[in-house]
Amino acid sequence: MHLKVNDESHEVTVDAERTLLSVLRHELGLTGTKYGCGEGNCGACTVLIDGEATRSCITPVTSAGGREITTIEGLANGDKLHPVQEAFVEHTAFQCAYCTSGFIMSSAALLDRTPSPSDEQIQSALSGHICRCGAYVRILKAVKSAAEQDGVE
Amino acid sequence: MSEQQSLAGIALTIVGTPRWSLEPDPRTPPGDPATLLIIDTDGVITAFSGKVEYGQGIRNGFAMEIADELDVAVDSVRIILGDTDLVPQDRGTTGSASTRTVGIQLRRAAATARLTLIDLAATRLEVGAGSLKTLDGRVVSEESPAGVEYADLLSGQTLTVDIPDVVEVKAVEEFQLMGRPARRIDAISRVTGAATYAQDVVVPGMLYGKILRPPSYGAKLAQVDSARAERVSGVVSVVQDGDFVGVVAEREDAAEYAVEAIRARWEESRDTASDWNIPALLKERAENPTSLREDGDLDLAFVSAERVFENTYYVPYVSNAQMEPSASVARWDGDHLTVWCANRGPFAERDSLAEMFGLDTSQVRVIAAEIGGSFGTKTPTVSHEAARLARAVDAPVRVSYDRAEEFGWSTVRPAATFEVKSGVDAGGKIVAWDYTAFHAGENAFRGQRGADTPYDVDNVRIAVAASESPLQSGSYRSLGGATNHFAREVHMDEIAIGLGLDPLEFRLSNLSHARLRACLVAAAKTFGWASREKRPGVGYGLAIGYDAGSFTAQCVEVLVENGEARVIRVMVGFDCGLVVNPDGARNQIEGSIVMGMGTALWEAVEFDGGRVLNAGFARYRVPRITDTPEIEVVFTGDDDMPSSGAGEPGIVPIAAAIANAVRDATGTAIEELPIVPRL
Repeated sequence: MHLKVNDESHEVTVDAERTLLSVLRHELGLTGTKYGCGEGNCGACTVLIDGEATRSCITPVTSAGGREITTIEGLANGDKLHPVQEAFVEHTAFQCAYCTSGFIMSSAALLDRTPSPSDEQIQSALSGHICRCGAYVRILKAVKSAAEQDGVE
Repeated sequence: MSEQQSLAGIALTIVGTPRWSLEPDPRTPPGDPATLLIIDTDGVITAFSGKVEYGQGIRNGFAMEIADELDVAVDSVRIILGDTDLVPQDRGTTGSASTRTVGIQLRRAAATARLTLIDLAATRLEVGAGSLKTLDGRVVSEESPAGVEYADLLSGQTLTVDIPDVVEVKAVEEFQLMGRPARRIDAISRVTGAATYAQDVVVPGMLYGKILRPPSYGAKLAQVDSARAERVSGVVSVVQDGDFVGVVAEREDAAEYAVEAIRARWEESRDTASDWNIPALLKERAENPTSLREDGDLDLAFVSAERVFENTYYVPYVSNAQMEPSASVARWDGDHLTVWCANRGPFAERDSLAEMFGLDTSQVRVIAAEIGGSFGTKTPTVSHEAARLARAVDAPVRVSYDRAEEFGWSTVRPAATFEVKSGVDAGGKIVAWDYTAFHAGENAFRGQRGADTPYDVDNVRIAVAASESPLQSGSYRSLGGATNHFAREVHMDEIAIGLGLDPLEFRLSNLSHARLRACLVAAAKTFGWASREKRPGVGYGLAIGYDAGSFTAQCVEVLVENGEARVIRVMVGFDCGLVVNPDGARNQIEGSIVMGMGTALWEAVEFDGGRVLNAGFARYRVPRITDTPEIEVVFTGDDDMPSSGAGEPGIVPIAAAIANAVRDATGTAIEELPIVPRL
């Protein structure tokens, strides 16, 4: 089948039963997207499909065929980090950072749709994600500052 | 050491003995001399440590310390962590001790390098070393402000220098980097997905392993039929060795599918322990308590006490539930084994692998990947499994746990039951304190941390017993520190409320420990404890704590309504001596509070007959961003005091502070965790 990931086209031959996460990590070597629970409960595997934040661990790979998939590796514009990535660095909005890709992808999707979200909107968009290191205070600050940066630009 | 020596152009090597303790300690002799720091001919500095990075920012802390001692930019320092072939022997990254022990030794190594560079410059410039100093990667003097670059000084040199017995490290006021907020040097790789965790390690020719798990702890394999599994497309081999059964396949999904296809019959153990009867069983099954302290005459003190309080407390098993499930890659090259893993103690892991396969430790190399959270767990088991499978199929194998395996087969924080009896005199002074803790798990030492009371009391008995555990107990953030503090600090409120005293005043009148008092006063002041307002559903609580050489106090506001409890804000006084990286320390303290909030409000491993019943995030509630309180940290420590731990102490008082606040809101004492299911 045909997968379009980070603006690149890939032909992959895989079982229809496999998840998008499994194909991204194992067939395409895009390991920035993480396995956390396999049940859609922790958000570590979040990617964008046609701009929508999507749990790749419960998404059959077949349902992503022909659509625009963006992973954490494809979020920056060359060397220029996405404003959300920039803000996560600025606020050290992580500790172990295993969950970070997922938080960043959902935040990017939120700001794309809602450039100036309220605290409640940010929390609601990220409530499906778990950061076990507990960096939530900083994640919230980072997303807010990314929204403000975006507004200025 | 071969790879180290093959690095191009090493000009200066600093050798020293690894330290395990802050002061030289005769009970723990130092390790063999090892290379701690090298500078190459380009002036690039590389330091080596057996510590590992699991989110605490240790790489960053070390880099800042070295950069400060050597007067270079932080990005010219490389840190090699946790590769047993390259780094000095280490006892594992535990107890918030990295900054206190390795950090100071790396500073001494860097200071030695700086002195060596100054000596080289003195010879080159034909001036006295006393007129020279280091600045921005150069040795400069008043006469020669442009000075000489380190790289220039080191050109053509191959020096090896031992750290002298006495070497002066910089004083606080000389620091340019330490003590100031800083971006982590590993930040970019962590926001772009480039950081490689154990789950991400791929080596050429690697296959994927999956282990057949018993239905419950202690179950024995009676019969197994793997014919169907062997026919699954992509399966390379089904490996059986006694009760150990695993599948190796070309793809992870094939391995998962095949292991499901194995038919197995198990004889399950008859341990009747369940989450509902474990509190009493812990006492019944306890081994002889270890006495940690016996002072004064308890019996007499209780007789003379005006009031006596006696309570039993219980803290359940909780899961570390770090975001990265355990994973390990093993590769055999003849009789040499290399393992990439996420263990906190690479040397301990190396030794356990060597023992398992009858190898010399020199035949095993363990390389720590980035670690996606640990909080104490990530045992060598997954590496044993990967190495067994890799040997059976003669190819590198990765074993990655799924979330259910992580919940069911990783270690958990021991449950504990506490018996606390206290006596107070008419003036509200504690005169007697009798404390016994029963911690699950064979390792009684784990339960000792934080068991002693920091309050002033003359007649004391502190005893800790280990007790048989139906689950595999292991380490956790601060471990016994967090659970012991829950029992003690909740009991402190029991007394205060019983006497009609303010919990803050009651604590202060029984506490002469200056650093703890300072934390408590700072937290209460920032919180506005004195002017707190009673409102429906709102409660206020506080607690103090000590751990890993540091001290803290936390004041908490909660809102209890509709069967839920919400932590609104947490004000923290924190003393960890010199704060190397305030932002990093704050990050750790905030994380400790959020994690401890989960153990206070919701978390408990449910189990029955050796089966974990809630092995998934849908059934095991952890804190989410919507639960996050406002957190403010005030550092009360003295910069002249050596740095002590910041990664763990933040968790020790939080559960008690929340429980005390919930009691303030509802009027009902909290004696067991978690709180919310009992509201």
